Amino acid sequence: MHIIVETRGLVKVYRSDGVATPALGGLDVAVAAGEFVSVMGPSGCGKSTLLYLVGLLDTPTEGTVMLAGADTRGLSDRERTRLRREHIGLVFQRFNLLPTISAEENVALALRLRRRPVGAAAREMLAAVGLQDKRRRRPEELSVGEQQRVAIARALVTRPAVLLADEPTGNLDSESSDRVLDLVARFHREAGQTVLLITHNDQVAARAERIVRMRDGRIIAG
Amino acid sequence: MLPLANILARKVRTTVAVLAVGVGVALFLVLVGLTSMLREIADRTTNVDAHIMVMPAGGPALLLGGGLPADKIEARLRAIPGVAAAIPVLCWSLNMAGRDQNAFGIRPEDWPYFAGPDRLVEGRPLAGGAEMLIDTRLARAGGLRLGDTVERLDRRFTVVGIAREGVAGRVFIPIDTLSECLQNDSRRATFFYVKTAGPAAVEPVREAIANLRLTAFTLDEYYAKLANLLGDMNRVIGAVVVVAGFVCFLVILLTVFTMVVERTRQIGILRGIGASRLQVFGLVLAEAGIILAAGILAGFLLTLAARAIILHVQPLWTIDIPAVRFAYAAALATLGTLLGALYPALRAAGQNPVESLRYE
Repeated sequence: MHIIVETRGLVKVYRSDGVATPALGGLDVAVAAGEFVSVMGPSGCGKSTLLYLVGLLDTPTEGTVMLAGADTRGLSDRERTRLRREHIGLVFQRFNLLPTISAEENVALALRLRRRPVGAAAREMLAAVGLQDKRRRRPEELSVGEQQRVAIARALVTRPAVLLADEPTGNLDSESSDRVLDLVARFHREAGQTVLLITHNDQVAARAERIVRMRDGRIIAG
Repeated sequence: MLPLANILARKVRTTVAVLAVGVGVALFLVLVGLTSMLREIADRTTNVDAHIMVMPAGGPALLLGGGLPADKIEARLRAIPGVAAAIPVLCWSLNMAGRDQNAFGIRPEDWPYFAGPDRLVEGRPLAGGAEMLIDTRLARAGGLRLGDTVERLDRRFTVVGIAREGVAGRVFIPIDTLSECLQNDSRRATFFYVKTAGPAAVEPVREAIANLRLTAFTLDEYYAKLANLLGDMNRVIGAVVVVAGFVCFLVILLTVFTMVVERTRQIGILRGIGASRLQVFGLVLAEAGIILAAGILAGFLLTLAARAIILHVQPLWTIDIPAVRFAYAAALATLGTLLGALYPALRAAGQNPVESLRYE
């Protein structure tokens, strides 16, 4: 079993005005390549902090994140950006897309930032999420569910090793939520996409192969 | 694509910023253009086949009126060794084409000192009496043609000649006619042009004229005096340039800073999907660059429009703006924009992506 993401003794403490607020207290998680894992827990338990650390958007106070075999401890912002580009696709809960450009341009942007040729890749990815007819629309012209599908297309168009999704259905009605989760599940099933999904919803978490339960910055199960 | 889309998403704010840059550019260019008026006057006044200007002691005062007894001074000047010709000029202000013009009263036989034979584009030189010779610029501005009559100083003058612009005065009248109109008892002169036998004679002649208790300048010195006025004006323009550049800087700073603050979350998303700090920095600068480019273009268009309007209202003004000044204006706007965009761009690039993503 090839481990694609692993956290070792991950501690995160936020400091503000001299007050230390612990968010993660020594977290060890491992995700195998091709695995679909949900991280579940109540609000404030540290789920999003874990996602930001695994996504290399933030640095831990202690411990490290191993990504695709690389120890990310002590890496510069530039090196973390490079690793994020190579291995991570991110989907956020809301206001995921850049509002001034079309759905297709939003997807193409992920390739452009990596200086990769766009070609027909953005269009094909939008077709894969069922939005080929709406590729020229701006985010405000799409439903919230459609926006999330565009965000998934954008996250996956670069063929990342890991898809990180932070409450991707948190703002959606049940029908839209199902469509988004079906989409994620399909990419996992058909393309072997590794998925780490953050949620506080039992039904959403149940779509994963494995559920990691968190409370107060620690893993309590999984 | 993204910078342009972001700029176009805020049309009113972008328009205001573009106009602010454009007004700064236009202000600089029009002011610079207006200084060419003084240079044009200096060029004209010294465009005479002579070497020295002679004025009453204490000159140069206002070049107007008959301060010197023309015949007497001419005789004294001609008696100086090395003087080839002494050309009296009586100046008086005449309102022509809606603006006061310094009319040159000259002896008709002195015309060759003011213009070569090819300068006269229509008609003939002055012969005497109530005749008037004007330059092409005044003819155009005043709608005057050969044979037209102009009533000034209780006389009806006839336009007998039109000279290509660049001659010393825009209006020439026979000196005796002008003296009569001004009710002088005898022929008077405001100043003299003196032609020497050659360049080597200029300095000795000037010293000899000074001994006559008259003020004498070589034409180069006189040009330099006018150029000094230009220098003072350049300092004023320099101040305006600094203000224009500062306004440009402030507008860009405010515009780009506002853009960065209101797009805090978007910057977080950009970082999340793989943008480096440098790419975020470049994005902000690119947006400022688009505003700059549009502002410079707007400034050039505003300048051309302002120039056309000014010359329509004041056809005798001169607003020459060399191409290199447009380049200076663009460089000034670029400097102001770069400085203004630098802080917001650095701030955007330095934003913590997690804090940006949590930004409401």
